[in-house]
Amino acid sequence: MEFHDDYPQYELMAHHSEEEGKVARRKLWNVFWIMLGVTIVELLIGSFALKIGLLDDERHSKAVLKIIFVGLTIVKAFYIVFSFMHLGGEKKSMRYSILAPYIMFILYLVFISITEANYCRVHKEKMDDLIVIQKENLNKAALSGKTEEEPTEAQPAAK
Amino acid sequence: MWFFLVSDALTFSGLLCAYGFMRHKHPEVWPNPADVFTHFPFYHGHIPLAYVGLMTLILIMSSVTMVLAVEAGHRNDKKKVTFWLLLTIIGGAMFVGSQAWEWYHFIVGTPHGALRSVSIDGNWVQQTVYGANMTVNEYGLPVFANFFFFITGFHGFHVFSGVIINLVIFINVVRGTYERRGHYEMVEKTGLYWHFVDLVWVFVFTFFYLL
Repeated sequence: MEFHDDYPQYELMAHHSEEEGKVARRKLWNVFWIMLGVTIVELLIGSFALKIGLLDDERHSKAVLKIIFVGLTIVKAFYIVFSFMHLGGEKKSMRYSILAPYIMFILYLVFISITEANYCRVHKEKMDDLIVIQKENLNKAALSGKTEEEPTEAQPAAK
Repeated sequence: MWFFLVSDALTFSGLLCAYGFMRHKHPEVWPNPADVFTHFPFYHGHIPLAYVGLMTLILIMSSVTMVLAVEAGHRNDKKKVTFWLLLTIIGGAMFVGSQAWEWYHFIVGTPHGALRSVSIDGNWVQQTVYGANMTVNEYGLPVFANFFFFITGFHGFHVFSGVIINLVIFINVVRGTYERRGHYEMVEKTGLYWHFVDLVWVFVFTFFYLL
């Protein structure tokens, strides 16, 4: 069967010989071992975080631990995108048209959501009407000895 | 394929940012993942993070077999493409199964449960709850469970569709469609999708299980 697809010819030039294949395979396996190592390191840090003092009093990660984990994740993401997905071998313009949205928007989105979340945490009582109503109702119920009618059915504030 | 992946990745980024927002808003009632995901098959103790580590390993492994299938496609080596693609499909199926197992244990919860305020007919009542669902969560804030179900579910559905797409391509490889065509371009394209799924998991793994 004759088959024609309308790819430009350079798209189909991604053939290589047996020797080149050997080199490529060795590189890929190296990348795999690196990623395996990084994952194991992450898990070890995660398991022993309490013992080596990387958790705070409320058993949450300290800033150092967060930076370590996010950094290692970005290392892994880099290897996946540039080695497995062959983005390292693409044209420069292609590379930037894919990476630029992240560099521009996601960093901003992360920044803005963390900042806003911290604001919300500090001013939670003022902002979260639901939690305030729930608390008032609970107090009223405790005072009068019976449960008041609660109109909203959203998430209870777990205490 | 690249531009579809860019848009899909932006969706996941938005979801993970929303998760980060809620997490930073309620740090005092947010569950520590190391206390939540402690189960391991055939072992009745608590090993935090071991199973999800294994899942990550399986997915990275299947990503490697996929890239080896793509590499074999560059050499027009049908036998090798078939072999590596089959391993990729098995890895993906194992991952989806593992995720179902993880969900099951998250929903069922621990035998002792925890005391939470639950809304019954509009009244807030203190009650012992077991496990997590969309309205109550034994481990902490219910919104953690909502995000967990939505984001890992969304990712799991991506893996599931990836397995189906790989299966279609696998059948085509076995039937020799790409051999007649002279190039294994389609394997490369599904490979891109499959690596993307792996990439998303690397981030989901970090933000849900490690931090």
